[in-house]
Amino acid sequence: MTSERIRRFETEQLTLHVLAATVAFLIVLPVVIAALVSTKRAGIVTSIGDLAPGGHALSNYRRALIGLEFWRYMLNSFVMSVAVVVGKLIVSLLAALVIVYYRFPYKNAVFLFILFTLLLPVPVRFVPLYRLTTELGMGNTIFAITVPYLASATTVFILRQHFLSIPASLVETAKVDGVGPLRFLWSVLVPMSRAVLVGVSVIMFVYTWNQYLWPLVIINAESLQVAQVGLNLLRGQASTGEVAWSMVMTGSILTLLPPLALLVLFRRQLLETFTIQQK
Amino acid sequence: MTDVTLQNVRKEFDGVVAVKNIDLQIPDGAFVTVVGPSGCGKSTTLRLIAGLERATDGTIQMGNEDVTAVEPKDRDVAMVFQNYALYPHMTARRNITFGMKSAGDFSDEEIDRQVREATAVLDIDDLLDRKPGELSGGERQRVALGRALVRDPEVFLMDEPLSNLDAKLRIKMRAELAKLHSEFETTTIYVTHDQTEALTLGDRVVVMNDGRIQQVDSPQRLYDYPETRFVAEFIGDPAMNMLAVDISSDGTEYEAVGPTFRIPLPEGDGLETVAGGQALLGVRPESLSVADSADRSSFAAEVTVTEPLGDSLLLECRTGDQEFKLHAEPRTAVEPGDRVALTVETERLHLFDPQTGAAIYHAAAAQPPEETGPIDSTL
Repeated sequence: MTSERIRRFETEQLTLHVLAATVAFLIVLPVVIAALVSTKRAGIVTSIGDLAPGGHALSNYRRALIGLEFWRYMLNSFVMSVAVVVGKLIVSLLAALVIVYYRFPYKNAVFLFILFTLLLPVPVRFVPLYRLTTELGMGNTIFAITVPYLASATTVFILRQHFLSIPASLVETAKVDGVGPLRFLWSVLVPMSRAVLVGVSVIMFVYTWNQYLWPLVIINAESLQVAQVGLNLLRGQASTGEVAWSMVMTGSILTLLPPLALLVLFRRQLLETFTIQQK
Repeated sequence: MTDVTLQNVRKEFDGVVAVKNIDLQIPDGAFVTVVGPSGCGKSTTLRLIAGLERATDGTIQMGNEDVTAVEPKDRDVAMVFQNYALYPHMTARRNITFGMKSAGDFSDEEIDRQVREATAVLDIDDLLDRKPGELSGGERQRVALGRALVRDPEVFLMDEPLSNLDAKLRIKMRAELAKLHSEFETTTIYVTHDQTEALTLGDRVVVMNDGRIQQVDSPQRLYDYPETRFVAEFIGDPAMNMLAVDISSDGTEYEAVGPTFRIPLPEGDGLETVAGGQALLGVRPESLSVADSADRSSFAAEVTVTEPLGDSLLLECRTGDQEFKLHAEPRTAVEPGDRVALTVETERLHLFDPQTGAAIYHAAAAQPPEETGPIDSTL
């Protein structure tokens, strides 16, 4: 390369990095501020100087987790998320298996109908869902915040796309050899889809973990409430009439940690899931 | 081992007819190859026999049993695919045993014994703990063959199993397949688009085109007595030349007359019917040669392309407005643009109907012997 081309290459790279750094900074900034505020006593920020780290980190987190029993909300969220992920995986795997490998009338129409459910925003379903849940006697239980989430068009869609990328001769060999559908699912499809399954599990976990409105509507007992709603309760605990911002931020950071840990751990599988082969 | 019979089998996909009412009898223990251009229905036929596709019409029998509506797993067939269809996350051993174990028809000792035998025959004992990703193409195909062998099925179905291998390996595996068949004598149906594979492997070759069976015959008879123009042009490389001719007759002798040549036709069945009419004269490239001296049947042609193949010199020639190819002696001194005199081996001429493509006449001195029963399956 000539020196001029090297210079141009370097300028391009520099511009790109500056841009990327700026975007990353803008995205991370609120989180950093939240983390800083969570270390302070009152947490009122009125000037840049107020953003210096405070000395109350340990006591704030201890107070939130133990004193205000935020651990209970996090545990509830965790149980809810794990139950939803496991349930969704089972339902979606079976649905995708049927949609890809079985021949039945109006198969494409069925698949389109599943996709169609994506068009309905969840709040639209709240009123009938509320009635249904309470009439089934599931109101105010763990079932109320897990069962309605089990069917997932997104997961079915992603798994379907992945299954379609697996050569048909594999299932045909299995058919000729007398391997049953469930055994094929468990011994062939699931191991061959490991990365995608991990990817969609992370997406589903984060989605469920972040649920706010539905648990707020259907769960009355505070002891059954989830972390996102619990955050609000943290604010309400401020007895002075002022919002305890440092507590809210402490709760926010705590709430952020499990999804963040999953994203960091499984980022490779997550990327693989999003770049899934189109068919 | 069992025989397979297809009667009036038809397969339609959304209105497209892939297999058009074919009848086929595959004798017990035979190695039958099915060959044809892509889209001719050969793979569909195989998949119908496997049970992976359900026939729209007609019946399929194995032994004395009608299996038309029987599930693949209950047909006792094993299939080998072009892409090997190995499970990528399983070791070679597990790939081989997975089907057997899942089907539950075999005891553990039986599975062990079968695997030992099959892997010894295929020489893959050392590869059993590797995954497909760590195996070469040839090794993968051996594992896939092993998986089919261990089940000791009534019928082997092979769908272009060698197409993904390089040329050299393909020839080696071809010989091994032939050896395997002579050892196990299991009825084998082998689909390929490669005529060399079809001719070298099959005791009996089925030529298909456009959803129909064109001809079922032994390899040599297919080459010597093609029943249709399609078979004549499909089998043999380069293809049989087709020259438009008029058939003239003086009552006892017949001639094929083109704009620049008159070729005498040895007496044979079918000539009377076409005398005075038009036909396509089929001449194989090796039946033409460059003449030292002109005689009654020789004619002049212009060489347009020369292709030295080493063991022969392939010439593309033109006479009048008709083009054809021939194998000349290697090192023949001809250049494109040269005019050469050509002679024809008149015993190896064929005539085809220009409209239907059906064979009218084969000049071969010995008339085709009528086949009586299933031909000997030993190779």
